[in-house]
Amino acid sequence: MFNLKKKGSVLLMMMLMIVLSACNGEGNEEGTANGENQGTDFPNKEIELIVPTAAGGGTDMVARQLVDIAQDDLDESIGVMNVEGGSGSVGMTQAANANPDGYTATMVIAELAMYEHLGTSPLTPEDFKPVALINYDPAALTVPADAPYDTVGEFIEYAKEHPGEVSVGNAGPGSIWHVAAANLENAADIELNHVPHEGAAPAVTALAGNHIDAVTVSPAEVRTQLDAGSVKVLAVMSDERHDLIPDVPTLSEEGIDAESIGTWRGITVPSETPDEIVEILEETFVSAAKEEEFIDFMNKNGLGVQVKGSEEFGEFMEENRAMFGEIIPEMGLE
Amino acid sequence: MDVLMEGFSNTLTFNTILFIFLGVISGIAIGVLPGLTATMGVALLLPITFGMEPLPGILLLIGVYFGAVYGGTITAILINTPGTPASAATALDGYPMTQKGEARKALTIATLSTSIGGIISVIVLILLAPQLANFALQFSAPETFALALFGITIISSLTGKSFAKGIVAGLVGLLIATIGLDPIGGTQRFTFGSMNLNNGVNLIPVMIGLFAAAEAFRSVEKLFSKDKIEVAIKKTKLKWSEFKSLITTILRSAGIGTFVGMIPGSGADITAFIAYNEAKRFSKDKSKFGKGEMKGIAAPEAANSSLTGGAMIPMLTLGIPGDAVTAVLLGALIVQGLQPGPMLFEQDGVLVYGLFIGMLIANLLILILGIYGTRFFTKVLLIPKAILVPVIIMLCAVGSYSLGNNYFDVIVMLVFGIIGYFMIKNDFPASPLILGLILGPIMESNFRRALVMSQGDFSIFITRPITAVLLIFAFITLFSPLIIKLIKKKYRKI
Repeated sequence: MFNLKKKGSVLLMMMLMIVLSACNGEGNEEGTANGENQGTDFPNKEIELIVPTAAGGGTDMVARQLVDIAQDDLDESIGVMNVEGGSGSVGMTQAANANPDGYTATMVIAELAMYEHLGTSPLTPEDFKPVALINYDPAALTVPADAPYDTVGEFIEYAKEHPGEVSVGNAGPGSIWHVAAANLENAADIELNHVPHEGAAPAVTALAGNHIDAVTVSPAEVRTQLDAGSVKVLAVMSDERHDLIPDVPTLSEEGIDAESIGTWRGITVPSETPDEIVEILEETFVSAAKEEEFIDFMNKNGLGVQVKGSEEFGEFMEENRAMFGEIIPEMGLE
Repeated sequence: MDVLMEGFSNTLTFNTILFIFLGVISGIAIGVLPGLTATMGVALLLPITFGMEPLPGILLLIGVYFGAVYGGTITAILINTPGTPASAATALDGYPMTQKGEARKALTIATLSTSIGGIISVIVLILLAPQLANFALQFSAPETFALALFGITIISSLTGKSFAKGIVAGLVGLLIATIGLDPIGGTQRFTFGSMNLNNGVNLIPVMIGLFAAAEAFRSVEKLFSKDKIEVAIKKTKLKWSEFKSLITTILRSAGIGTFVGMIPGSGADITAFIAYNEAKRFSKDKSKFGKGEMKGIAAPEAANSSLTGGAMIPMLTLGIPGDAVTAVLLGALIVQGLQPGPMLFEQDGVLVYGLFIGMLIANLLILILGIYGTRFFTKVLLIPKAILVPVIIMLCAVGSYSLGNNYFDVIVMLVFGIIGYFMIKNDFPASPLILGLILGPIMESNFRRALVMSQGDFSIFITRPITAVLLIFAFITLFSPLIIKLIKKKYRKI
């Protein structure tokens, strides 16, 4: 009997090893492409775009739509691979460590400029070379339709009379929308009660049910409730008004001097990628993002198209990084 | 009623039914494979529907959704491997029935319960959606916490042979649930500096490990034992009298499923466990549960399929997705130029009723495919273990990897496969651990969120009527066996 058991466990170990080695193979295949003709005939095989969030989510939809258009331009197919985990840090880390040959690109998200300040990952924009910014959506201060304030000014006045009582829902502790609410606190010198949720949608649901007083999420995320008339947007936290809600003023129009805070998505490649390859990709993605088909798709979903080339996108990420470095440490996280 | 008839005729076209059929078939295939979830199936097919007409496009996705929830059951019953978390509760009695040689009967019960539960919830959706919508909005953090606490009391009915071991497994599940970023404060807990653990341990690889991999490891051991246990496939069919005895269970579970489905943030996995628990509570002979009780299959199946209809209620009427799948469906509707929310029924009434009719058809297709497929599905049991087991282990690895293309999930699956193997050996049940892992984060974050909302005032749990009622239910469930025992003792003395 003992012998039989032993045999069983040996076989079990072997199976474990087979499984493990089968999975390891996945990581090695990229190695072969290294060093091959980096230059003029790029691309000559499929490009992989790593999306650090789940299939079916907002970032994934934007990536797939963009890739659909870009690959026609490029005459090579672009495959989307969703690598999830750690609020995007798992996928982006894998992408930053990929071969810098242009065949692995990444859809980076705003969190990239936040991790180091939150202490959740050492990843920073420096781990990548920017290709193009595609989308930007500002935070929109949204309150129930029957709230006793109609402007940001009135909201702030109310918050000053009720310090720490106005509850503002966000998409999770340290999420971009949490930072947005903290930014408003700083700019208006008020004290809010931050209520973290598991993502923006549950926060908006809580707002629609009148369980919280406000949310600071993107216009697209409050759009269905806005159309239904159950909420109203008081202001957007950007320099320009948002296409989805052109009647809503920006914070600065309302006389509040606050940072622009929003979520964004862009394309990057590993930091060592040669410039000539970056240029090819930049041209492709910038023109794809300006195609009518893509803009239509973004409009339908209430997402803002904001296109910046490699250099501008790099500066943009650094500005974001510096700004988050000022706001996040004061938020009392960790 | 006119819109209903018009929706009816729009849906009953060859084209639309074909797409529902394709959706259901691919959904079943996705559900059968561990690691491929309903959400993923719907998300993967989403881009295809962009170029389609709204009705067939969305119904294709709904077919995938319904099919995947059903598909997960087939493997749960046959090889103790829930294809999706929604079917974890079904394995409790489904697999024991297979071991008794009653796989076909078990699958028949599952198919009937799934389609009846699904149809009931769609009827509720047709008749009451707008009225129920606002009720769903009443649910916020304190209510969800109370519901999760009620769910946790279910652990006591999943304990199997030893009560203490069941409780230990449940507590371990709750403990594992604390790994990752603190949902309210954002502090890292037990992550050991690994960003893979920042979002906690992923439920699905844990489930694949505990159920499928652990069972496969144990089968490896059996391959060499002399007393080979061949699983027979008896031709016993479900008798009409047996089905009649299940009807109340199915109806009750369908009610539970539809109700829980409406509540944003709760999923099919919890519903199935709650329905299982209620079936056991109302049953006269509780000892049969966990050993191949038919009600133990009917209840979770009717509940997890009726949840699909329930989850549509807030999505269609308020534009609020109740779970991950409906969130993707919401995106599909928006891309098709529809605006879910109170105006949807007025502006696109014909389409909405067309969708409802399509959902009924999807459930009927599951019934037909399930009944005719039973014979075919059970063939899996005829595959020699020496071939089946390595295939299952490969599928476990591939499934865990494909979940997020993250190698770490494969390691989680293997670790829990090994833990699960020793749990089986020592009679520790896996379901309480899974339930703890599902409910832990929901309970914790909603408890703390409720206190943030009330600025630390505990009265938020008493002053809100739904919360108070649910908490009372939870306490009754928890303490009633004890109180009943005490009362009985007193009576005996008198």
